Amino acid sequence: MLELDEKFFGRFGVEYTPNQIIFCEFEPGYEFYFIQKGKVKITKIINDREKTIDVLTAGDVFGEMAILEEEPRSASAIAVDNVRVLKFHRDNFDTLLQGNPQLAYKLLLIFSKRIYDAKRRLMILLLEEPAVKVMDVLIMLAEQNPQYDFEGEVTLYTTAAQVASWAGMAEADAQKELTHLTRVDKIDLYEDRIVVKNIRDFQRVITSRRKNLYS
Amino acid sequence: MASGFQGGIITRGYKSGSIIYFENDKSEYIYILKSGRVLLTYTKIDTGEEVKEEVRQGEFFGVKSALGKYPREETAQTIGETTVLVLNMADFERMILRNVNVVRKMLRVFSNQLRRLGKTVRTVLGETDNVNPDVELFRIGEHYFKAGDFNKATYAFKKYMEYYPNTDYSKLAMDRIKTISSGGGYTSPASAKAPKEDDLSDFSMDEDSDDVFSFDDKPALKKETKPDFSFDSEPDNPSLASELSSEMDDFLSDDNTLDDFGDFDFDGGSSAKSEPTLKERFEVGFSSFKMDNYKDALTVFSEIINEGVPGKPHDLKIYIDAYFYSGVSYFKLKNYKEAMNHLGEIIKKYSDSERMKESLLYVGDIFAAASQKEKAITYYNKVANASPKDSLNSKAFDKIRTLQKS
Repeated sequence: MLELDEKFFGRFGVEYTPNQIIFCEFEPGYEFYFIQKGKVKITKIINDREKTIDVLTAGDVFGEMAILEEEPRSASAIAVDNVRVLKFHRDNFDTLLQGNPQLAYKLLLIFSKRIYDAKRRLMILLLEEPAVKVMDVLIMLAEQNPQYDFEGEVTLYTTAAQVASWAGMAEADAQKELTHLTRVDKIDLYEDRIVVKNIRDFQRVITSRRKNLYS
Repeated sequence: MASGFQGGIITRGYKSGSIIYFENDKSEYIYILKSGRVLLTYTKIDTGEEVKEEVRQGEFFGVKSALGKYPREETAQTIGETTVLVLNMADFERMILRNVNVVRKMLRVFSNQLRRLGKTVRTVLGETDNVNPDVELFRIGEHYFKAGDFNKATYAFKKYMEYYPNTDYSKLAMDRIKTISSGGGYTSPASAKAPKEDDLSDFSMDEDSDDVFSFDDKPALKKETKPDFSFDSEPDNPSLASELSSEMDDFLSDDNTLDDFGDFDFDGGSSAKSEPTLKERFEVGFSSFKMDNYKDALTVFSEIINEGVPGKPHDLKIYIDAYFYSGVSYFKLKNYKEAMNHLGEIIKKYSDSERMKESLLYVGDIFAAASQKEKAITYYNKVANASPKDSLNSKAFDKIRTLQKS
């Protein structure tokens, strides 16, 4: 990547200052970006609040949906600190690929991961009971960290608000389910993290619910 | 099963009916079908329906799960004698680097899948796809405009003008841009004076948590003006200098630029007055706070705090709220030292205010975050036993129980 960066910065490099918009939700978009330096947050305005969906750092790509699609941006990208990016117009994509196949490989990795994340989220959303959805969100978060030992306690750095957003439910409802799980001693709930006592328990519940879903 | 090498890449032969991998297996191998037949069987997640798909000769399979490092989503089984090439990720990378067309084709397939998935997710969530991007773009501008985040608002309005120059809101978007550029409205001072990230994040809990979290010892605070936390000490007036920002004043007196505010009411909420009161200024900070934009919120709150204790009782309530929400903002930013300073101020000086119980609860949370369990429980207990009883009492009880279990 470094080789690519140095060679291309003169032509494609752009810099942003903290809190500056790189692109805005619903704006037509024809470019995609590689972060060279700094942090970029991906946000959406939901119910008149700015929600941060993701924070990206050097080496990450964003705006990549514009490469192959005609849709307006589905989220905003905002510089968190001083940000340096390479900005490519999709018309240059083929040329860029020819010259930089490693970029293509990187995009394949990104797409693979995003497809899985979207599928996994859909699996959660398709569950019916809120309690079960919340459990499956916790499983998903645990899965994202391959070094976790599922036999022991698992600490997830997340909040009720984030769980709610994954589960597609109101924060108060997610909070209610999490409080219940605390009461029955399945999890410990903290301001910034959730400790799951036995994630295997949750997995058993979800597996059986999922079987019933289709039968 | 027979294995052999071919230019570093393994060739593997399977008998008919062999399983190459099962659904849910974890593996980093990617396959290319060389000869024979391979059938992929997977379950559609939205219908539970079983789908079978045959791999064509020369095609890759097992790519996404290997690259994304997640479990296999399908079972791959051979039909008849079959030979496959087995690649690890490095082999795969080397191979595709020589053949960009393959990558382009894969990207197209992946992109399609992603779009279809996104659509299904939105349907399940009940979000409609029938939005007008122009109206929505304008709304984004309005959101930032009302939140006082004028740089972002200007960006959105300018893009609106660029892409949708002759649509419903173009005049209004133009007006907004003019209002902002002429310094209209009261600006969120945030963008000008946001605290440096370093100030907020350099606090290390391990190094000086004793100093910060002990209520009995003299806390080692940077500024003398900050209160300490010994409850028995004499309450003193905040010796914080009352320095009103002069730029702010200039803005506030400049009411002729505010004309454009009132003529449009997008969702009925835009309040437009020429002289922002303390309450209105607080609301600007509070709306940043609600959007989890704690740094901007802190800039506004600290301006209010720095102006000193207001005379009117109603303003005093806002002043206390500014202290309280500063404390909470610092807590959210994990700057526990400052969180403690601000919440401690309420506990010390405004113990009869409405924010007292919540402040105690947060102080408990600060100690909990610092793994000082006993102190945390002490504070939660204060809340749990305080009357009149409300939801905070039971929240405190819950927190005590959680802590006692850990």
